[in-house]
Amino acid sequence: MEEQINTNIKSYLSFKLGEEVFAAGVKNVLNILEMVKITEVPKAPDYMKGVINLRGAVLPVIDTRIKFGMEESEFTKDTCIVVCEVDQDGEEVKVGAIVDAVKEVIEIDDKDILPPPGIGNKYKSEFITGVIHLDEQFILKLDMNKVFSTDELVMLQNNQNETNNE
Amino acid sequence: MDQFKQKFKEEATDLINDLEEALLLLEQNPNDKDIVERVFRAMHSLKGGGAMFGFDHVSEFTHHLETIYDLVREDKFLVSADLLTITLESVDHIKDLLFSDEITKEIENNHSVLITKLSTLATNDVGKAATPIENQDNTASTQKSFYVFFKPNPDVFENGTNPLYLLDELCELGESRIISHSENIPLLDDLKESNSYLYWEVIIVTDQELNAIGDVFLFVEDDCELEITQVAEGNLLADEKVIRYLADIEKESKVVDIQKLEREISKNKENKTEQGSKESTGTDTSVISSIRVASDKIDTLMNLVSELVTTQARLSLFTEQQEDAELDAIGENIQKLSRQLRDNAFSISLIPLQSIITRFQRLVRDLSNGLGKKINFKTEGTETELDKTIIENLTDPILHIIRTSIDHGIEDVQTRINSGKPEEGTILLRSFYSGTNVFIQIIDDGKGLDHEKIRQKAIEKNLISESTQLSKKEVFDLIFMAGFSTAKEVTDVSGRGVGMDVVKRKISAIRGDVEVDSEPGEGTTITIKLPLTLSIIDGLLVRVGVTDFIVPLSAVQKIYAVNKSEIIDNYTHTVVLDEKQTPFHNMREFFTIDKEMPDTVQVLVVTYEEQSVGIVVDYVVGEYQAVIKPLGKHYKDQEFISGATILGDGSVALVLDTNKIIKQSAEEV
Repeated sequence: MEEQINTNIKSYLSFKLGEEVFAAGVKNVLNILEMVKITEVPKAPDYMKGVINLRGAVLPVIDTRIKFGMEESEFTKDTCIVVCEVDQDGEEVKVGAIVDAVKEVIEIDDKDILPPPGIGNKYKSEFITGVIHLDEQFILKLDMNKVFSTDELVMLQNNQNETNNE
Repeated sequence: MDQFKQKFKEEATDLINDLEEALLLLEQNPNDKDIVERVFRAMHSLKGGGAMFGFDHVSEFTHHLETIYDLVREDKFLVSADLLTITLESVDHIKDLLFSDEITKEIENNHSVLITKLSTLATNDVGKAATPIENQDNTASTQKSFYVFFKPNPDVFENGTNPLYLLDELCELGESRIISHSENIPLLDDLKESNSYLYWEVIIVTDQELNAIGDVFLFVEDDCELEITQVAEGNLLADEKVIRYLADIEKESKVVDIQKLEREISKNKENKTEQGSKESTGTDTSVISSIRVASDKIDTLMNLVSELVTTQARLSLFTEQQEDAELDAIGENIQKLSRQLRDNAFSISLIPLQSIITRFQRLVRDLSNGLGKKINFKTEGTETELDKTIIENLTDPILHIIRTSIDHGIEDVQTRINSGKPEEGTILLRSFYSGTNVFIQIIDDGKGLDHEKIRQKAIEKNLISESTQLSKKEVFDLIFMAGFSTAKEVTDVSGRGVGMDVVKRKISAIRGDVEVDSEPGEGTTITIKLPLTLSIIDGLLVRVGVTDFIVPLSAVQKIYAVNKSEIIDNYTHTVVLDEKQTPFHNMREFFTIDKEMPDTVQVLVVTYEEQSVGIVVDYVVGEYQAVIKPLGKHYKDQEFISGATILGDGSVALVLDTNKIIKQSAEEV
């Protein structure tokens, strides 16, 4: 995990959603799966894609695109499920996030992370904890606990609807 | 040492439970000798164990209790309500002593207060009680002769036991004759001075029971060969022939032949069968009939069985595809075995409801005394067994229900007399099986629920609107809503506004259901319905659209095939099955699956609130053993799904809760 000498350097997994690149702290990521058959759960919000079998346990899967207010798209061979472990009121909850493509693991020093822009942000600023400028590209660093929290799921959706309606 | 201490704490918990239970029983039957004996034994073991494992304060404290109950045992002291109250307080105190991390000031104070109370009790009342009871009992007392064979293991001294003290204690029980055997002492060269080589035979004449003799050896039972046999009624040592026989034996250093001894005496005694007189000490039998197993071992076993069942489903699927007769036979056998193994593993994790009853009895006793109400707590069917996890999660809700019953349900003595009821209120806890469910009912004969008051209250709290029309049942259901509490003022017992909604939530968490029924003035019945087990069910695999679902087999009565034209565009939502109008709920509509329906669909008939209701699915695949896994917090709003299970091909099927589906579907229509 983190090195003793310079604890400020942390590893992030970067992944693509559409043209946008996001980063998630590797400490939240358990593993990455290829797309498998997802069992749909009726009467659930759209972004709750369903459940899959993760080595004998049942894992809820979220379509990150829909959740972030993007167009739903066909799954490709690059599409995969990032299995994350997030903290829910002190309880560890596992959840799978469908992303368009997983890129790489990057190591970033905390001081190289810029604060999230205050205005003109497409996404709720609470979910973006910072912006990483890497190779002529901006990577949005996510607060995984908030993004995949069971309560926020509903909130974000409502918010999205409101903005869509406007 | 810590490990032993832990073990002792576990044992002590059992002993304390047993003690509490016995004390509550004693309250009902103050003159029952057997119960007094049970109380005494529990205390004795606590004291002994406490001393052995370094819980000196426990041991010292229990000693005071034991002193009093020794007097009770000898009929020199009467069992009174005062005594029981102090004893129960003392039991609580022992719990504090054992389980608190540190001894606080409060506990210390309590300690001295209780000891003073106990000693005053012990000294004060001895004289009073002694006379009347002793007279009765002495006339009835009968002497019996016992034969005791006691051979300590060679290493008995290592535990600090001195066998001679035990013999002394034994001889105090009555007239005795001891034959000591020294023939096992080896030659001096081979003799280890730390070993014990002697053994003894004792004929003892006493008016005590066999258990009392067993008690003497309570702490060495495992370290010796021990045999206690009742050989005759009456005083054997008064018999010339027996004395002579014993003397002979001692001279020739032979072992007493009980059968011969019995033959000697059988002439003038009644024909007693060997079996009847020969009793092993109580603990021996219980050791064989049950063992203690750490609960996490059982959890592991259950997990393994669950995995086996899942793997077995894969195997079944595979064998089906192979079309190999031999493989088929093996597959079927494995299926049969795993089913049996599953049932067996389940029965291991079942524990009787009885195991938590004591806490309720205690609550009723303490609370009713505190509120000045008279309440008789009765139980029925407490041998009903439930899954360990369910029992663990059930205690708090039931405690709360009983608390509410005592506080709000049962009226005080005066009110009860005025309304022509017996002054003592009754709370009955009843439990029984029905199908694959367990029902637990808490029934009181108190003032019942006021229909109109609940309605008004709900309107006041904005839970319903003025115009809402509700059935009687629906009104009662309101009390389970968050923020609802009918108590006019807050008491320390109930009425904090948190309560019944928490009860409902906790019971839902273990896939149970809770209902209230009440007749004003007559009383209230609260019924908790629970599944037998949480983890594996026999289910019916069905398909709706492209998705597989499991319906608990226990819920399904019959399956009918129906043409889709009878279902589609049917605005009455009823279909005629076996010449009976049956309302139905179409799962395709409920789940909003648009795809074209197959020409023939299947209707599962289930029971919902004592009515037959149909559930329309596309197709029934077959029977399936489902290992239920939680769906997780993200799907907490999908209440009609009670979990998910892994199918043989590795995909996931959702387990449906038919009751919730029908309820929710009915609301939507």
